[in-house]
Amino acid sequence: MDDDNSNALRRMSTRTRKVAPKMAAALGSSDNRSQAALARLEALENDNAGIEAVEMNDDDEASLDEDDQEIGFIQSLMDIEAHTHRYTSIEISFLQSLIDIEAHTRRYTSSGIPFSTRFMILSTYMQKRSKGTKRKTRQAKALENARKAPRSFLELLHEANLESLPPHVPSYLRAAVGPPSSTSRRHFCSVCGFSAKYTCVTCGMRFCSCRCQNIHNDTRCMKFVA
Amino acid sequence: MSNVVVLDNGGGLIKAGQGGERDPAVVIPNCLYRPLTSKKFLHPTTTTEEDLTSAAIRRPIDRGYLINPDLQRDIWSHLFNSLLHVSPSSSSLLLTEPLFSLPSIQRSTDELIFEDFGFNSLFVADSPSLVHLYESSRRPDSLLSEAQCSLVVDCGFSFTHVAPVFQNCTLNYGVKRIDLGGKALTNYLKELVSYRSINVMDETFLMDDVKEKLCFVSLDVETDLQIARKQGKDNLFRCTYVLPDGVTHKKGYVKDPEAAQRHLRASPSAAMEPNKEAYQLETIAKTEERKRVDLTKNEFDLMNERFLVPEMIFQPADLGMNEAGLAECIVRAVNACHPYLRPVLYQSIILTGGSSLFPRFAERLQKDLRPLVPHEYQVKITTQNDPILDVWRGGSLLASSPNFESTCVTKAEYEEHGSARCRRRFFH
Repeated sequence: MDDDNSNALRRMSTRTRKVAPKMAAALGSSDNRSQAALARLEALENDNAGIEAVEMNDDDEASLDEDDQEIGFIQSLMDIEAHTHRYTSIEISFLQSLIDIEAHTRRYTSSGIPFSTRFMILSTYMQKRSKGTKRKTRQAKALENARKAPRSFLELLHEANLESLPPHVPSYLRAAVGPPSSTSRRHFCSVCGFSAKYTCVTCGMRFCSCRCQNIHNDTRCMKFVA
Repeated sequence: MSNVVVLDNGGGLIKAGQGGERDPAVVIPNCLYRPLTSKKFLHPTTTTEEDLTSAAIRRPIDRGYLINPDLQRDIWSHLFNSLLHVSPSSSSLLLTEPLFSLPSIQRSTDELIFEDFGFNSLFVADSPSLVHLYESSRRPDSLLSEAQCSLVVDCGFSFTHVAPVFQNCTLNYGVKRIDLGGKALTNYLKELVSYRSINVMDETFLMDDVKEKLCFVSLDVETDLQIARKQGKDNLFRCTYVLPDGVTHKKGYVKDPEAAQRHLRASPSAAMEPNKEAYQLETIAKTEERKRVDLTKNEFDLMNERFLVPEMIFQPADLGMNEAGLAECIVRAVNACHPYLRPVLYQSIILTGGSSLFPRFAERLQKDLRPLVPHEYQVKITTQNDPILDVWRGGSLLASSPNFESTCVTKAEYEEHGSARCRRRFFH
């Protein structure tokens, strides 16, 4: 997820580029677990968890342009995974936010269009695809969406530039309670909820017994993102 | 003098009514929803007849702040025209706004109120000061109304705020926030149930109901976890929730409400002995009943989820959030204030907001807080009868005070000076 990674992207052929970088980034980056944790927390604020994931898995990948195609690939990957394993939609929404992060890091690396508009294009594109509306140019779509789409609170927060205030002014950022004084943390089994002694070596989630480990491995152990 | 509309625009529920009345006339969810049977998003109604299964939801408020004014306009115009029957052009508005609202959000709110609806005048209040106002008027001889000082702990839908209030003003340098509220708890419960039994990720309304009916705060998590591990009727926490089938009943319900309440009266050793036989007969009958209806209905069991979900407010670190729990949050908020205020603040903690409705919330808070507070200070937590409506009632009191009109920003002033200038009047 940093510079040398994106340079590595440039040298690859287009075909592998569709597949490999996602995996490589996911497997290579060390802070993926913390990203996964963050994405999980983000998902707690979602209104409708699993719904978009269902709508987006349509067909006609052919008309996708390059970046959309990569994300489309992850979409279909999610689709397959969701069918084969019993993924709950929280994991799907986690993957969704992984895509989000991916798009976010790309903002600094690849194209000239800022991340927000690109992602807006993408999301509305996904929605519109099923309706079969006439395709417009990128700029027109970006303009239209920039006017219409409500922005998320985090975008507004970023825009308000609260960091620039002097430190004695109370603001949204300074009102946050901050980290706990004790670093100890209780761990609960991700399968049954009782206190968990063991950590999954593949993905870092917790479980409490052999039985729960097996269930964890069969269902939600996210090998390909962690 | 025109009438005043008091509007507590929460992330979860809108509480609205005329100023001066005791209770809000309308309490509706602040969202549009689309049930499976409909193609359009509908307004929620107060009669709850319709089928809310798998309804998609759109909310104008994200993380407590108004981010979608268009959607909010929709909901408000429905509220003013069809539910409250007021004409905005001949009334004033008292609106609650979350603390630390961003300037851009304030501007769009003002546009919405003055330009789209055309209200006569506007007063923006923050909820902690309204709660303080209501509480001090309710009990005029208590310490908090004599000292004019209290610590409002507001566990709401989007986040939890701890705000010191002094002389009816919120001390904004002392406010602390935990980014956990009812919505996150519902979503967390959804996640747990979906993984462990039935996929309910789309059933927001249903899981809200489950959370409200079955979740409670544990006083001792370790012991309760041990109990939740047990089999059979020793397990005081296991209870079953029946999902709606869409034909005979449209709403889910708790299968055995008495059993669900068992944990509250069971301090395990006491009081069960005299009527033990009757109790056993009862339980046998119940278990038979439970076995009988299993096949026809969809249902799921809850055990440790019942207390591990609200537990997150007290220890967000368990969820992986890098945030302190509620008790520590209170201590930090108090420590940010002047040392003279601290003893009074600890003695006048007011607990409000919908998420504080979990049973035993106050006891647990007391238990967590006591070790963190210096021993010479007393800790006293005041709970309220109806924590969801308190902010509104405070607003209603404020709106009926004699010089309310003079403190408002009028439409003319807004048109003259603009949003940012007018907002300075409210000390935000």
